[in-house]
This record gives sequence, structure tokens and C-alpha cells, in this order.
Amino acid sequence: MSNTPLLEIEDLSARVKDKEIIKGFNLTINEGEVHAIMGPNGAGKSTLSYVLCGKSGYEVTSGHVRFKGKDLLSMSVEERAREGLFLIMQYPVEIPGVAVTTFLKHAVNAQRKYHNQPELDTMDFMKLLREEGRKLGISADMLKRPINVGFSGGEKKRLETLQLTILKPQFAILDEADSGLDIDALKVVSEGINAERNEHNAMLVITHYQRLLNDIVPDFVHVYADGHIVKSGGKELAAEIEKNGYAEFTKEK
Amino acid sequence: MGGLLQEVALAGDDIPWLEGQREKGRELFLAQGLPTAKTEAWKYTRPRDLMTEDFILTGTDEDESHEEEHCNYHQGECRCGHHHESQKALSFPSYEIRFENGIMQAIDFELPKGVTIKPLIEAIYEEDAVKSYLGKEIDMAHYPFAALNTAYMEEGVYIAVERDVSLTKPIAIINHTHACRQNLMAHLRNLIILERGAQATIIENFNYSGNEKSRYFNNIVNEIYIGRGACLRHYKLQDEAYKAVHIALSRVKVRENGFYESFCLQKGANLARNESKISLKEEQAEAFVNAAYMINGWATVDTTTDIEHLSAHSKSHQLVKGVVGGNAKGVFQGKIHIAPNAVKTEGSQLHKALLLSDEAEIDCKPELEIYADDVKCSHGAASGELDKEQLFYMRSRGIGEEEAKQILIDAYLTEVINTISNEDVKNWFSDSANINTGEEKC
Repeated sequence: MSNTPLLEIEDLSARVKDKEIIKGFNLTINEGEVHAIMGPNGAGKSTLSYVLCGKSGYEVTSGHVRFKGKDLLSMSVEERAREGLFLIMQYPVEIPGVAVTTFLKHAVNAQRKYHNQPELDTMDFMKLLREEGRKLGISADMLKRPINVGFSGGEKKRLETLQLTILKPQFAILDEADSGLDIDALKVVSEGINAERNEHNAMLVITHYQRLLNDIVPDFVHVYADGHIVKSGGKELAAEIEKNGYAEFTKEK
Repeated sequence: MGGLLQEVALAGDDIPWLEGQREKGRELFLAQGLPTAKTEAWKYTRPRDLMTEDFILTGTDEDESHEEEHCNYHQGECRCGHHHESQKALSFPSYEIRFENGIMQAIDFELPKGVTIKPLIEAIYEEDAVKSYLGKEIDMAHYPFAALNTAYMEEGVYIAVERDVSLTKPIAIINHTHACRQNLMAHLRNLIILERGAQATIIENFNYSGNEKSRYFNNIVNEIYIGRGACLRHYKLQDEAYKAVHIALSRVKVRENGFYESFCLQKGANLARNESKISLKEEQAEAFVNAAYMINGWATVDTTTDIEHLSAHSKSHQLVKGVVGGNAKGVFQGKIHIAPNAVKTEGSQLHKALLLSDEAEIDCKPELEIYADDVKCSHGAASGELDKEQLFYMRSRGIGEEEAKQILIDAYLTEVINTISNEDVKNWFSDSANINTGEEKC
């Protein structure tokens, strides 16, 4: 861990249509740190991840977000991704007609172009994809299929993880990365994610349950309720929540 | 210069039956005039661009003289400042027939045995069969542009494949317009006859070089006869200059056990109509009539089909997909007619369109006329926009918005382009539609 801030969220408020979902949210994540945000269902955890990624329909009403010192909120969705922001989505979309390989090749090359790197050679790219896929139990056949079409919940999350390991973002948000996963798949996915941890990147793990945090062990745990963080602590806080639930935080309102 | 119907001397004026057809064409075009808003078959596609008086018929004296002073394209350079390419249009082997500004060029390949390819006018003089086919299935009273085409009937190609002859390479008809000056018009008439058991692939390509803002008018009629058990695969890429007018009719007659596969990709012209009128005359005749279009700007691009099931156990399948952006308009009119005796027939039709802007328009008119019991018939139409969730997903991985849209458009068209059974043509059309077929190449 270092004290170089990677993501700085200051007094962030955001709404969807007329509903204020995020209210005065503050959090700083330094390079090398893994933070977990835990909260009850409906607290707006996914909204936070969408706001950070720049999805339309999520309106920031106040506050600032800096990513590597740059103003994140003024960037387009793709610029944020190219700068190194990545979201493992809770419900990844299906894209009929677009093969996984085609899609990933476009994504990798778009990012390489942004960083003035030459496009990857197709053979090298395929080799990389197969190797990384194998580690996650993704078959060559699955890589040829259209993105997420007919994939099981576990396969979808494996594919999200594969994208993480290929794109190597500096900052990854894991939005309920364990939903839809059985124990074996959870192990494969969390091993894949853990392998990407290093001193320069950081992660934000958004989860309802402690389960995932046994495998992806966070440095900090924050309890999120009513649009902002109500309590912060170390990994032991997760165990506490698992035991007592969210009731004590939600009734504070 | 003059309007659409001009007094010109045509070759073959010493042949009474030919002159008779031309005269009938003139009469029937005059009787109908250009389609208007009241013409049901043309209610979505208005040929307004043709209401001028300044057309120059290709191959006439006026065309030649103009060519001298303005467009020395035979030297490869045009005074309009554009280089006119003359390289082969296709990247795969074919018997390539070239038309330059509507004039058929000399054939520079050896004809395979059992195949006749020659200019239509030569065939009219030399081939006895021509008289019994030419114009026989064209209902000029209801097809004004076919009537107009017949009035000028002279240029075009005659292709005949003898009994049980299978061509290994496709025949490509490349129609190239040097669009370096305004208002050229060409009326092409192609007669294609496949005798019993013959097999062939025919590709039509309409392209241009020079000033893309030039207006010109191509009016094509194909008469296609598919004999018993014969098989024709017919592919077309319409990539005209963006102010061009392109109107084409393929009149196809399929006999017992005959097979017709067609695919038309339209991406050019300001006003284009590709119309297929297909008669499945005898039992077990089958047709696949698929198409795609991708248009932008102010273009109107029309795909019209009319498939007649005239006998039992005949089958037809249609899938048409379009992508429409800007202020453009896509038109699909699809008619399936099943005659009273045509039992156990199957007809399916599906049109889908993707609208890329609020101003883009789709007009779709499916028509089923079923006079027989015990048939399987279906039709469907759908239109929509690009999926915002899919776009967000791709952009969240760093893919730019325009690139993401293109990937989704490619994916959308891939389904229909994959219906092309000839691999070379499939790849060519994929590339022409900017479709990335992706992983297969890895």
C-alpha cells in the first residue's frame, strides 16, 4: 500500500430521475488498496458503480471525483475505461452476433490505441485469450460464442473476470461479483481477481454478503446506507455485519 | 437531351418482333407515366428525381461527343479530376463481364463449354431461343420502368447455360459508371436462361468512379428462366454514387425442382429500388430471396418482392434486414401469393430494420394472398434502435461510441449476410457492409 490516491470521491450526490440515491458520499482509495462497500439491498450500491463509470441516466448533482488526479466526471464512458477504470457488472448484458473474441479484441485495441501502443497481433491475442481463459475454466468454444448469450450466471462472471485479466485496469469495481456463482465458480473467479492485485492498482468490492470477502480479502470495509458511508473499519467489520446484519445501520435514519 | 423517352436509333430496327416490343414498351410507358403518390406499388418510393428533361442516353451521339470533350476516361483520367479505375472488381475468380456507362465491353475470357455469353443484341440476331423468352414474362402494363426499359431494349447481356452444365466459377456482371458528368441514363436488359439441370452463380455489381455527386439513372431488367432441376445463385451489390437513381426488376420463373437463391445488398444511390417478381411455376420449385440495406443521408432505398406460388410443394423464404441512418428511408414491400392449387407450399417472410436516428424512416408493407388450404405461411416485421445497455457495456470496456455502434450494426447484418451460400460472395458482402466476421480468421 502507498499513500498515492487513485480514486478520490468528495461529497458526491447523484440521482436517478427525481430520486436522490447517493447523498454526500466521501471515499479515498489509494494505490494498492482493496476496499469493500457493504450495504443492504436497495441502498444504491449499484448506482455508485454506474455513476463512477458514467452511465447515462445517472445524474451527478454535486461533488467531485478524481481518478489519478483527473476529473473523472467530465470524461466519457470509454475515456474512463481507457484511463483504467473497470466494472465487473452484476448483470452483464447479452450481445447477440458479437463473438467474445471479436469484442475483446476491439476493447484491447481501443485501449492500446489510446495509450499510443500498437495493435495486438491477432495470433498473440488469441494465445493470450486462450491462456487466460483456461485459468478461469473458459473453453475455446465459449470464446467463439456471442457475448453472454445463453451463458449461465457463473459463465457470465467468468467472462467478466476474463476481461479484467486481459484489460488489466488500474482500478476495478466489483459489483456483486459473487451473485449467481456456486462455490467452485466463486473460487475460480476470486483467484482470478486476486491474481490481478498489486501495489499499483486498487479495487472496490461492492457486496451484500461477507462471503466474497473471505476470498477477496479487503483492507478496508465500509458500511453504506442511505446514500453514504455510515461506518468504516477493517476486514473484521465484515464479519460483524455477517453476524448482526444491517439493522443497526438502517435504523439510524 | 430530352426526357426519359427519346427518339433514338437502336440496333435491330430491322427485326419486326423486336421493334414491336419496343413500340409496345413506349406505349405502355406513356400510358402509365412515372409512378406518383397514387400508384399503389410505388406509394413509399417516389421517383421524383426522374422528373427532369435533361437525360442523355448512353451510347448515343450526344453521349459520345460529350465524352470526347469532357471525359476521356479511356485514358484513365477524367477532366473532372478523378482517376477511373479499371482493375478487376472482384477479389476471387469469376467470368467477368464489364459494362462501362451502360455499354457492354468485349469479353476477354474463354467461355466454358455449354455456356453462351454475348451482348443481347447479338443474341437477338443469332440465337433462335431469344425470341421465345425475351419479354414474355414482363407485365409492362404494371411495371412502368420495365416498359421504359423495353422501349430502349438493346444493351445487356445474354447468358445461357445448357442442360446439366455446372459452372464452377461465378459469372460477374460489373456495371461501372464513370460518374463524371450529369444525367446519363442506361437501360440494361439481361436475359439469363438455365436449361434443365444447369447450375450457375451470377453476381451483379453496380459501382462508380468519379464525381460522387453526379446524377445518373440505371434502369435494369433481368429476365431469368430456371429450368427443371436447375439452380441459380444470384447476388447483387448495389453501390451507386449517392445521387444516382437505380431501378431494377428481376423477373424470375422457376420450373419443377428448380432452385433460385438471391441476395441483394444495397448501400448506394439516392433513390433505389430492387424488385423481384418470382413465379414458382411448378412443383418443388424453391426460392430464397434475402436482402440487406444500409443507408444514410437523404436516400430512399426500396426492396420489393412478389413471389407467386403457382404449384404444390413450392417453397419461398425471405429475410431482409436494413440499417437506416440520417434522414434516409428504407422501404420493404413483400408479397406472397399462393394460388388455389398450390397446396403444401411454404412461404416465410421477415423484415427487420434498425433505425439509427430520429429522422430515419421505415415503411414496410407485407402482403399475403392465400387462396389454397394446407399451406405454411408466415410474415413478420420489426424495427428498433441500437440497444443502449449493449452500447454502455462496450463503451465501459473502452470501445468508442461510434466503433461500438458499428460492431452492433455489423452483428445485426451478419445474420442475413450469413444466408449467402457462396463463401467468396459472403466475405465480399461482409466487407462491403463493414462487417467484421472476427474469430473465424484466428
